[in-house]
Amino acid sequence: MIKPYLAVIADSFHSALSSRILWIAMVAIWIFLAALAPIGYHEDYTTTFRWFDLDNGTQMKAMLARGLVDPEESETALGRLARTFPEDIKRKLRQVARGEDVRIDKGALADSLNESLDNEDWYDAEAWRTTVRLRELRELDEIPDDEISEPERRRRARLRIEAALPGVFTAMSARSITLSYAGFDFPAFFLIGKEQFVSLINQFVVPIMMDWLLGFALIFLGILVTASIIPDMLQPGSLHLLLSKPISRTMLLLSKFIGGCAFVFLCVSQLVIGLWLISGFRLDIWNARVLWCIPVAVFLFAVFFSVSLLAGLRWRSPILSIGVTCMFGAFVLVIGLIGGYFDALVRAPDRISQLSFDGQDIVIATRGGELKRFDSESNQWADVIEGDFRRRDLIVPPVRIAPGKIATARIRGGRFNLYGSGSLDLLVLDRSKDWKPNPGLRLPNGTRRLLVVGNRLIALNNTGLMATTIQQVLDESGIEDDEPDQTSDDRTTDSGTDSEAEDGSPDIEVSNIGVTAWITDLIRMQGGATEAFRVILPKGVTLTDPVRLDVLPDGRSLVVYARGRLMRLELPGGGGGGGGDDAQGATATLAADLMLDDNDAARATMAAAGRSVLLARDDEPVRWYQADSLALLAEFPSPDDQTVVAAEGLGATDRFALLTTDGSVRVATRSGDRVEWVTLPQSEVTAIKYDQQSGRLAIAHHIDSIDFAAIGPDATASVTIERAVRPSLTSWRSVDRYVITPLRTLTPQTGELSQTVAALVSGKTSFAIGDVANDEQEVVQLKIVRPVVSCSLFLAVMLTLSCVYFARRDF
Amino acid sequence: MPDPIVDVHQLRKTYRSLSLTGRRRIDAVRGVSLQAFPGEVFGLLGPNGAGKTTLIKMLLGVVKPSGGHARLLGQPIGSSAARSRVGYLPESLRVDRHHSARSALRYYGRMSGMTAAEIHSRSDELLKLVGLEGRDRESVRRFSKGMYQRLGLAQALLHDPDLLVLDEPTDGLDPVGRNEVRKVIDRLRDSGKTIFLNSHILQEVEMVCTRVAILAKGEIKAIGPIDELAHRDQQKLIVEVPGDVEPDWQAIFGDSITVDIESTRVREAFRLSIAVVDQDQINAIVDQLRRNDQSIARLEVRRESLEETFMRLVGTDSVEEVVGEEAAGEEVLS
Repeated sequence: MIKPYLAVIADSFHSALSSRILWIAMVAIWIFLAALAPIGYHEDYTTTFRWFDLDNGTQMKAMLARGLVDPEESETALGRLARTFPEDIKRKLRQVARGEDVRIDKGALADSLNESLDNEDWYDAEAWRTTVRLRELRELDEIPDDEISEPERRRRARLRIEAALPGVFTAMSARSITLSYAGFDFPAFFLIGKEQFVSLINQFVVPIMMDWLLGFALIFLGILVTASIIPDMLQPGSLHLLLSKPISRTMLLLSKFIGGCAFVFLCVSQLVIGLWLISGFRLDIWNARVLWCIPVAVFLFAVFFSVSLLAGLRWRSPILSIGVTCMFGAFVLVIGLIGGYFDALVRAPDRISQLSFDGQDIVIATRGGELKRFDSESNQWADVIEGDFRRRDLIVPPVRIAPGKIATARIRGGRFNLYGSGSLDLLVLDRSKDWKPNPGLRLPNGTRRLLVVGNRLIALNNTGLMATTIQQVLDESGIEDDEPDQTSDDRTTDSGTDSEAEDGSPDIEVSNIGVTAWITDLIRMQGGATEAFRVILPKGVTLTDPVRLDVLPDGRSLVVYARGRLMRLELPGGGGGGGGDDAQGATATLAADLMLDDNDAARATMAAAGRSVLLARDDEPVRWYQADSLALLAEFPSPDDQTVVAAEGLGATDRFALLTTDGSVRVATRSGDRVEWVTLPQSEVTAIKYDQQSGRLAIAHHIDSIDFAAIGPDATASVTIERAVRPSLTSWRSVDRYVITPLRTLTPQTGELSQTVAALVSGKTSFAIGDVANDEQEVVQLKIVRPVVSCSLFLAVMLTLSCVYFARRDF
Repeated sequence: MPDPIVDVHQLRKTYRSLSLTGRRRIDAVRGVSLQAFPGEVFGLLGPNGAGKTTLIKMLLGVVKPSGGHARLLGQPIGSSAARSRVGYLPESLRVDRHHSARSALRYYGRMSGMTAAEIHSRSDELLKLVGLEGRDRESVRRFSKGMYQRLGLAQALLHDPDLLVLDEPTDGLDPVGRNEVRKVIDRLRDSGKTIFLNSHILQEVEMVCTRVAILAKGEIKAIGPIDELAHRDQQKLIVEVPGDVEPDWQAIFGDSITVDIESTRVREAFRLSIAVVDQDQINAIVDQLRRNDQSIARLEVRRESLEETFMRLVGTDSVEEVVGEEAAGEEVLS
């Protein structure tokens, strides 16, 4: 019979309602909600420039300086725009043009651009005709001046500025919202798109609220209030009467426990429902999933209350119950912090982000900015380029350029600034020299991707695509010689090479030819062509982020996706080493071109295989195109509603491997307009790479393990693991596995419950964050089950102990 | 003989504990056997620490016995069936401060499995019975100890139990309140309820109990009707003989009656206290006094009081020995 226990629970509610602390907490909640209620928003065109919109400051400085000093640019869009800047900035830009190291505040540049939004004297339709105008700008240009609204005019002005400075600005959605409070706009840096705002609320604001407001303040308050429940019940005049009633002791205790959660339930319900109503009425975000915060917060409280319960039974003292519970909370917090540090400093830096192969040799780039090779003798990853945590260097994904030769580059401080500090040298790793990096050709500044197409090495940066021949790469690196030349050795040194490299002979030659040399330097500075790398993009094609590219198996066609535009470029001279030196710098031809609708600023992933191209953009179906014509063959929803973070074409087989944010790999096969996929058994996958030589798909998983899988030819994609790399643990990783992980497993992961809330509220179990221009996007996998299971087990153990103690003990 | 409502056989309770000073063993109840029958008001007497509360706790299932067995209303002690027919008034009842008398009755009624309608109808009746009518919606924070006791009595009676276990029911009550409680107990006894009463107040027990058990050092020292507990050979004949000069008692009674005489002067009479065994001896004493022309102003046969019986059975030494035993028992639990 459940009635007596319901009476106990109901009585606890009455008790909670009669608590003064509850009413104080409620009043505090109502004041908080009342303070939040005036929040509002309005959606408008994205017009105002912010300092963080300027993605590549170095490139921008160089471009503006060139626009200012290059006579050829005087009447171009760049030149006209450069002249609008205030005198002090123009003076600094001229210093830049003279090769001086000048710092220009991004905020000042943004302010100047914002002034240009109001006064469009700088605009000249003829000058802008040669710029690459996005579809949105073209549409706005068609609106007559007397019909265009002021917000549209400012938006058009911004797009014109972006067209004059391609590659400089972060991709932004066309419309953004501005938060306001009681009719006053928030400071400009709160400007974000509506979708981003909803994601921000769901994935960050709600978890933070869960952590601090619900997870800390209310839980602590709840413990203070409820700590006396059990000691009060154990008072002889109360307990003996209760125990004389025809009820079970276990059920009595559990009822008291449930009733004790009433306090937190009452507080949390008001707070969360209030926030939900405010976000609905004031921000138009009617996300009923926010209400999940209520049960999760009560569950979180129950974990702590179970400790208070046992302490109360044992010592019958509210003070001791509170003390023990606080100590438990501190212990959980410390374990969580230590675990977090191990995640960030031990596990994450070792995670494989890029792979490259040469026969049995494996070279990887890690999230920690290190380049490593697998040493099969020691069964460990050996450093090729060590990472520097403070500088956050960026490793350009390594590519195999010839037998026993792998090319890569290290952008110093590249995580903060893609243009890094100093010049960028191509590093060639040579097997015969134990994979030691040999500096070679100077790469175009801001190079973030290298590709081998036939006998060419192509570099991608914000400016576009530039190519050189592999032979020239090998010649310049000097690694063909048995005795490395002195110059190469000097430049091999990791530190202090920047200034030496800049003082290299090509610069001296250029500087001797006067003003032209300034311009050449500026072009290099902004990431333009170098001596060896020549622009190959056809005229009229500009690559605006997000940019993705891949090589078709024919070895001479490139598929490029750039901000809503899908293109197939054909390189002259045919594939497979036929071009020789003549091919260097030859411009590619635009063989197919397709403009895509919807959100062109969305993060995208693309891959080419066989005669197919696969494109996955965030929050859109995955699309399968015919490579030659770029005709749409099929589209299908993203697997299990996950975001695709990497795609690899499986050679000439017209199949693709998709890595999704949940860390799974799926092999997709098309049949007509239907696409089927098979999920591979690996989990916690961090990177995939198809090895053309062996025809195997390399799957990096569980931080630094790799499986080489042969995928069967049929649609069921039978998988055979032909090689498995399981490196030995380093000392810190051993501590993590054998000490920290068991400790975290045994400790209830209360802190991680905020991730459960984030997943419940956003409806996503994982998502990718990071700059869309950067291949190094961070995948966040929300832990949903682990904290719930961990906390549930802990709760079950504590309640069992409490019940056994209460049932067996004489009182 | 009807089946006993309370049937206890060799019930024992031993508390054990470990402390810095070594192991401790306290025998709180040492093989107690007793029966209480339907309609009886059974009193449990004993000094502090005699084991009375431990015995009641065992009967109610609050404490598990170390040995022996017992049944309440034919059901094993501690069973839900037994507890559902027992009403219990604990010593120093504690009711949560958010309650009023009425809401507390509602709460305890639901704990006893009663419906809302049953609780409502019984509450009115009982609140009137215990004198809390009109103050039933007042917060218990404002209640005196006496009002708490009245509320406790009401909750014990709420589900119309067959057995009432009352632990110090008149504790904290004024004389009027005590009298009212006694009347309630009498009425309940008359209606056929069985009452198990634990009290320190011997006069109260003497007034309402039909049988008592005297417990000391965890053992039953005596059990039975109060009259039977008194020593027969301890009755005395009190005679007051008026006069100014004390007569020669030896001459009056002679050798025919062997008596121990204590003579004291009370007002204008001489009071004789004569230990007597039976009625024949009393008759003979009266005959001899009259035969010697002595007037009898007052004649009383005085038997042993419950207090005298209690003190005789328990003794002062045992009180000192066992005092604090239950407190020690509490320490064991903590």
